[in-house]
Amino acid sequence: MKKYWKSTAIIFVIVVSIGSFYVNSATSAEHYPKFVIQTLSGNAQEIKPLIIKGSYADTSSMTYVNTSLAISAKGTTYESRSILDELVGNPPQEIKRLQEKYRTFMRGKGFSGELLFENKKFLAYANVDSGSIKSRNHKFEISVLTKEDDIINSFKMDVPKGKEMDYLHVEDVQIIEDKLYLITDNIISNNDKQYEEKHIYTIDLATKKIIDHEAIIQFSRSQEHTRIDVQLVRTSPTKANDHLILLKTENKVSEDMETTSEEVVSQEIISYNIETKEKETINIPGLRLGGNQLSFYDGSTIYFMRLDGRDLLVTPYRLADDTVGQTYSIQLSGEKGAVSEPITTVIDGKLYVASSQMNADLNADIIVADAYTGKTLFKGQVAVDGSSKDNSQFDLSLYKLFVN
Amino acid sequence: MIEVKAVEKKFGRKKILKGVSFTANKGEITCLIGINGVGKTTILNAIMALTPFNKGQILIDGEPINKNSFEKITFIPDTITMLPHMKIAEAMEFMDDFYTCWNQERATELLGFFRLDPNDRIASLSKGNAAKVNLLLGLALDVDYVLMDEPFSGIDMFSREDIANVFTSHLIENRGVIITTHEVGDIEHLIDKVVLLDEGKVTKEFSAEEERENEGKSVIDVMREVYQR
Amino acid sequence: MKNYLKLVNFEFNRIAKLFAVLLGVTFVIQIVGVIVQSRYYLSMANELIYEGMLSKVKFLENYGHMSLSQIVISMWFLVPILLCVAAVGFYIFLIWYRDWVGKNTFIYRLLMLPTTRLNIFFAKITTILIMTLGLVASQLIMLPIETLVMKSIVPKEFIMDITLNQIVISMPELRFIFPNSPIELVIFYGAGVLAVSIVFTAILMERSFKWRGIFAGLIYSAVAVGLTILPLLLNVIVFNGFFYTIELFVLEIIMGLLVLAGSILTCRFLLMKKITV
Repeated sequence: MKKYWKSTAIIFVIVVSIGSFYVNSATSAEHYPKFVIQTLSGNAQEIKPLIIKGSYADTSSMTYVNTSLAISAKGTTYESRSILDELVGNPPQEIKRLQEKYRTFMRGKGFSGELLFENKKFLAYANVDSGSIKSRNHKFEISVLTKEDDIINSFKMDVPKGKEMDYLHVEDVQIIEDKLYLITDNIISNNDKQYEEKHIYTIDLATKKIIDHEAIIQFSRSQEHTRIDVQLVRTSPTKANDHLILLKTENKVSEDMETTSEEVVSQEIISYNIETKEKETINIPGLRLGGNQLSFYDGSTIYFMRLDGRDLLVTPYRLADDTVGQTYSIQLSGEKGAVSEPITTVIDGKLYVASSQMNADLNADIIVADAYTGKTLFKGQVAVDGSSKDNSQFDLSLYKLFVN
Repeated sequence: MIEVKAVEKKFGRKKILKGVSFTANKGEITCLIGINGVGKTTILNAIMALTPFNKGQILIDGEPINKNSFEKITFIPDTITMLPHMKIAEAMEFMDDFYTCWNQERATELLGFFRLDPNDRIASLSKGNAAKVNLLLGLALDVDYVLMDEPFSGIDMFSREDIANVFTSHLIENRGVIITTHEVGDIEHLIDKVVLLDEGKVTKEFSAEEERENEGKSVIDVMREVYQR
Repeated sequence: MKNYLKLVNFEFNRIAKLFAVLLGVTFVIQIVGVIVQSRYYLSMANELIYEGMLSKVKFLENYGHMSLSQIVISMWFLVPILLCVAAVGFYIFLIWYRDWVGKNTFIYRLLMLPTTRLNIFFAKITTILIMTLGLVASQLIMLPIETLVMKSIVPKEFIMDITLNQIVISMPELRFIFPNSPIELVIFYGAGVLAVSIVFTAILMERSFKWRGIFAGLIYSAVAVGLTILPLLLNVIVFNGFFYTIELFVLEIIMGLLVLAGSILTCRFLLMKKITV
């Protein structure tokens, strides 16, 4: 059997070496620290539905490898880097729920919540199919699922005046009664002039026709020494809202030799009634939001948020009766008096705040408060579970909050 | 019986074999004779399914060639079919490993017959010895048919004698042999059957003995007649 | 089956020398790399701590601990690994052509073995796989040895202990060679086997039809690759992302298996009916 020793040896080496490598990987996954949410005060029940997604990196060696993780009241789960997990995909919580529940409808609908709308009766999706960029052959692609009878209605239609548009994308989809509203951001070129629009298209679901469309606001992004920016205030992407909240910011751009700096000159908050198409300016004296994107609109109340040192200042504004609530502040832990922008969301009248960063010197807060009054319901911190291996050099970034 | 029936073969546009037919029987030595390039080697390759042919049929004991045929028929080409770094003993071991019809006793006998050293490496062999090893590896198989391609070409006189002696020995008895050559001299007296090939066709197929007895002609005489030289 | 195993053993013995040389070269270059990099780190530490008056803690904070994961991303590791990849790639062709060229034409013997000729194909593809996995497995054994060498040069307080898995994870470029999970291993190396089977088919086409075979081989390869990625293409171009990724994955596996079966059948046909010595 002398002539068989080489192949026998190499097969033995392959099996033992690769085998033990994977057995070890399976058991050494425990190496990562376990993060838990420690209660400092308040009711720990409040964070039960909360999931925070982020990534962990060990900074003690010069190689930075990020691992995605999710922290909840139950502890930490690391997303394995296995190909199967990647293949199943890791859509946002909301999309995942929809994919599980409406598997057929959600085919080919991607992971963006803005393109989706859900209420008790309907699940709707709208997107723009632009074909090749040069052709300017923009079409709306719309699919509506009637939940009751499980019928999917899909149709395409040309974008009116699409030939004038360089580019457009859907920013929100709404259904009110039997009309579907598409809110888009259009970039239009006309006679060598380029400008931008937030546009609303009203589509009659019965006839599948665009019955009305108009520009909500028109602006030129860059002019000399000025930059204008119009955003929709963040909201739960798939939820039904009858108003749009737009934030128009005018920045003064000063350029010197090397640097360009921007300064907010004026800011305008516009509420737009989707159904009646009425526009209204909301005026809150003394409110200076700056360039942040923290503010949140939950369908009935706008929570204007801004950072002031270590304080997150929140001003609620109730749309129904145009009342400005009391501004309250939530203190966050931070380094040298400043904190990086936290992550926030408002669900069912509760404001959830989490720091976006944690390391050995920096704590990460998790706060749940009554969104209108600011009364703290829960205050806690992300902490490394004592049983985990001690490692003082790491970086934890948190980037998204989900509330189930 | 090996039956070659109307075999045609093209290389590109050129027809090398234009319907070759002949048979070779067990217990006989059949000699394919023709000038170089007439397609003798191609015929042997075709019998062993080592090259495709375009038309016709080849049967071995009534069956087309298949994997089991290789325990029944073997081919000794004019190049050695073992790896250069192998020792003769290793080459024999390789044969023993794969062929159930390998006859180790006969192989050892052939080693002595050819005066070969089993520890010599293939690459170091002289042309004559390489041909002998080739012959050894083929003849030590207990097969019914042996095909040999030019076993005498380019080999020194003494090796030729050794090889020619094989044909009169018990090593060949009861087997069907097809041998190609362009020099009939060495084995003329051993041949049972002659197949003369010219321009891709069989020009004459005859029994050497009958020709000698009836017409009083040797194989070479017939060749002269046919090729008109 | 028995003949197949014998042939695999035979084919592996034929490359054993090349294999040993590859392992040796890889090991030597990597060990030299470990020594050079460790010394470099050490001299940097010495310079900054004793001459630059930097405290040990501060040094570690700025420059990090030493670990093998810093060495494996250097050229000292990448070059020998790429060398092995190139050698395997080259051998995919050589494993066939070496039987035809030269004075001793072994292909006669192979084709005249009393076994199905497809076993030759299987033995050769298995040998390529064993060679590849053998190199990967040996590399995994070398890493702990190299860690020991590093530890013998760099004092303990500068070293961060990391596991073999972390070292491997720090080479994301080599993820296809060192997959992170057994499933990935099967998928990646399965895809590799598929690719090799396509190349083998092209080689056998060339061996069967010579010049025309080269074109046929190229066309076959293009068609086979096209078919393999067809589900992905269709999903993007025709179906507009209709399939969920997991479904695509299953389709891809089915398609891969079909193309593999097609290659095997084509090779079987070529070896039995068309091959020329």
